[in-house]
Amino acid sequence: MFHKITEKLDQQFHFNAVDAHCDIPCGIYDPHQAQIGALTVIRMVDLIENLLKEHGDSLNAELLNSMARYVAVKEEHAELAKHEIRVIWGDFIKDAHLEKYPQLHGLVHKIMQLGSKARQTVDRETAVALLEAINEFAVIFWQIKGIDTKRAKSPYSVSEDVVLPVL
Amino acid sequence: MLRLLKIRGHSLSPDFREGEYVLTAGFPSPFRKIKAGDVIVFHQPGYGLLIKRVRRVLDGGASFEVRGTQIESTDSRNFGPVPQTQVAGKVIWHIRRK
Repeated sequence: MFHKITEKLDQQFHFNAVDAHCDIPCGIYDPHQAQIGALTVIRMVDLIENLLKEHGDSLNAELLNSMARYVAVKEEHAELAKHEIRVIWGDFIKDAHLEKYPQLHGLVHKIMQLGSKARQTVDRETAVALLEAINEFAVIFWQIKGIDTKRAKSPYSVSEDVVLPVL
Repeated sequence: MLRLLKIRGHSLSPDFREGEYVLTAGFPSPFRKIKAGDVIVFHQPGYGLLIKRVRRVLDGGASFEVRGTQIESTDSRNFGPVPQTQVAGKVIWHIRRK
């Protein structure tokens, strides 16, 4: 009864709100963006290597332009992958998770280092290692959420495995 | 000072649910000393006016460690202890939805 009366009063007088705040958007985290970032890095490495293989002996403006674009996208997506993992690590992961998964700090550090190396180099092995480390992170993330995972070939131009939630 | 506030968000759910109301007492009083288990309203820079449950009273009441009930709750695990100077009031009446 009191709630109904207060609700009526609220409609008239608009009481201030107090936030029982979760991180915004509340509980919505997903390593998917990081996986997409890592897949894009692999794809850019492939495109850079193909470009050199096919047109490397004829330096021209078109080639340089394409190369610059591939490198820019590689930079951007390696950083995106790092950013997404940092957000989940910093905002979602709590002490209880770290107790259960003590390897998390080391794994996140490894992802940061691989992401930086993927920016500095044109090395497919590093890019794949970045994706694999993020996949490992995704397995733990979904385990924390109580959701099973599966490995599947990505449906994109890069056919590496990604870890997906079984929803 | 008494204030009637509407709860927004799920951090204290199911104890305090979104859309319910709380009456808070904000004036200092030895009879309203804040203790562990109390629910307080406080100003948190960057977050606004928040409501959380006190987990521990630190330094004889100089600050409070606060927690939500959800693992995703944004609380002292994120922003550290809440200084007493940021506390706006203590919940003295919870108007629940049936």
